[in-house]
Amino acid sequence: MRSILARLGARIARGAPALAVAAFALTAAAPPRALAHDQPYSFIDLRLDEHKLQGKAVAHVVDVAHELGLTTPDSLLRQGNLDRCGARVEALLSNRFAIRADGVGLRPRWKGIEPLPGRRSIVARFDVPWERIPGKLHVACALFRYDPQHVTYLNVYEAGRLRYQGLLDATRSNVEYFSGGGQGRLALIGRFVGEGIHHIFTGPDHMLFIVGLLLLGGRVTRLLKIVTAFTVAHSITLALATLGVLNPSPGIVEPAIALTIAFIGVENILASRNGRDVRALIAFGFGLIHGLGFAGVLRELGLPAGARAWALFSFNGGVEAAQSVIVLSVAPLLALLKSSSDAWSRRVVAMGSWCVILAGAVWFLRRLLPAS
Amino acid sequence: MTRTFRQWVIQGAMLAAALIAAGQPRAAGAHEFWLSPSSYRQSKGDTLEIAAFVGTGFRGEGSPYTATRTRSFELLGAKKLDLTPATLNGELVFARFIGADAGGALVAYESGFTQLTLPAPDFDRYLDLEGLTLPRAARARLGARAGDGRERYARCAKTWIGGTDRTRALRAAGLTLEVVPLDAPSAGRPLRVRVLFRRKPLAGALVRAWCAPLGRGWAPRDEAVRDSAGPRVEARSDREGVATIPISGMGEWLIGVVHMVPCRERDAADWESYWASLTFAPEPLR
Repeated sequence: MRSILARLGARIARGAPALAVAAFALTAAAPPRALAHDQPYSFIDLRLDEHKLQGKAVAHVVDVAHELGLTTPDSLLRQGNLDRCGARVEALLSNRFAIRADGVGLRPRWKGIEPLPGRRSIVARFDVPWERIPGKLHVACALFRYDPQHVTYLNVYEAGRLRYQGLLDATRSNVEYFSGGGQGRLALIGRFVGEGIHHIFTGPDHMLFIVGLLLLGGRVTRLLKIVTAFTVAHSITLALATLGVLNPSPGIVEPAIALTIAFIGVENILASRNGRDVRALIAFGFGLIHGLGFAGVLRELGLPAGARAWALFSFNGGVEAAQSVIVLSVAPLLALLKSSSDAWSRRVVAMGSWCVILAGAVWFLRRLLPAS
Repeated sequence: MTRTFRQWVIQGAMLAAALIAAGQPRAAGAHEFWLSPSSYRQSKGDTLEIAAFVGTGFRGEGSPYTATRTRSFELLGAKKLDLTPATLNGELVFARFIGADAGGALVAYESGFTQLTLPAPDFDRYLDLEGLTLPRAARARLGARAGDGRERYARCAKTWIGGTDRTRALRAAGLTLEVVPLDAPSAGRPLRVRVLFRRKPLAGALVRAWCAPLGRGWAPRDEAVRDSAGPRVEARSDREGVATIPISGMGEWLIGVVHMVPCRERDAADWESYWASLTFAPEPLR
């Protein structure tokens, strides 16, 4: 702002020297940047061991003073003043910062607040006793909502080792931490298998693609081949994109997924006329594209540091489980229909394929064109 | 000195404009970001610290290291070294390292994107001030349809710690936007720099240079006693991406460039900007 004002002052100076002096005086009168707290941030460190959680929260005096309604932030840098409003600071932090261990809320025991004059901050220490390290810690934190640019650095140490480094801000105020032991691993697997299942059942595009692949029916071995081809292909690109080897834009991947759906509908209609069944090949090729879509979801969920492979396999496992449910529900129904009425079966294939084409085309246009 | 009523009206309007400008919300993206070593000179065995600052006029506040927003953080000395394993999320000192030799080193940092949305008038003013003429023209063509400025920005910062091998300063670090010196920086001599965007020369970029006095020895002056200053030099890069900066004297120099392009992920933002900086302390002219 000071440089903006300086330049504004310079412009004014060209036309009005007296005003330039006023503008520069204004610039000079602006508070020095280092004192104005331009970089709004706070820190939370959590240290986990077998007997307790030890934590500390470091916050800038400007932010704390704002929330307590104090007009002189630097007064908080004196221990005496800090002691007088210690309970209010603890209440403030308790209201804005919550930890749950395996779903149970923890109540921090505050161990005192001290000033950190070198950083114009205060540090509040706390602990929570427990009997063992939980599998999952859920941290919800929005310390200073009045400032949308405020960020909180969160570090989690387990048995003295730094295991998680994250950032909480206006767009992300929750973090899940999975501990390193067996309990943490189980919690992580449960979470990501669930996410994989959830993604398939709440994402009609993947469901429709699988249904489209199954519409023509066929022997169990053929269906198995098709589903396996799709699974292998999407697992490859899911892993490559999750690990950062591939990084295509969602702006390309999402419309491409929609196109694969429309294409499988067209292919069904053509195949039902000429009898050529190349679904396994198509499933493999298009599976590569769908894998990139799954990876986008997984990236948004955030991969836990140190357990990325577990998260990846668990998510993929969830996707496979959901896919299996669809296959095991749809394939027998289609087989039953075909055995009872060939004419109706053909009608269902035709109508179903047109529905798949239409849905794919609509999704393609919606994903390609901006929402406005 | 007598003034006409018209002069008073004009000057009053200007003062009001200045006051209004002073009250505007800051554009977070409009802050320079630079790396600051504990010393701009390195000998073998020296322990050096790298910090980062955000601010304007080459005066700023320490910016903590953000693990989740870091794309790369490297030391280019006798060998290339990944510094990220030595970092800690939230620390004001990005890294500490020991000089492997006396040759000097480049330290290069690139962040991931941070989202920012500004009301249309603020965003347009920010584009004007940063000399981002192409996005400004594109928004002007759209008129009211341009809407609020939805931007995501990334930081690409380098610092040159001088040593006996001055050619190390001339290496490109592979940042998305980068200022690469074509000569080793010397006080009293023009410094040619090439601006690279995605490893290709960038023409027409506004290159700005600031200078601040050094502290003790080759250390940067403490932020608490620094003064904010306007850019000492402004130049546009030519077709080869080259701009010439007269290095008028000793001190700590910051060369900055901003480049903005339409965002490839339109769901995320309309524009993406890259903020490149290079800090160094030139040698006295031999």
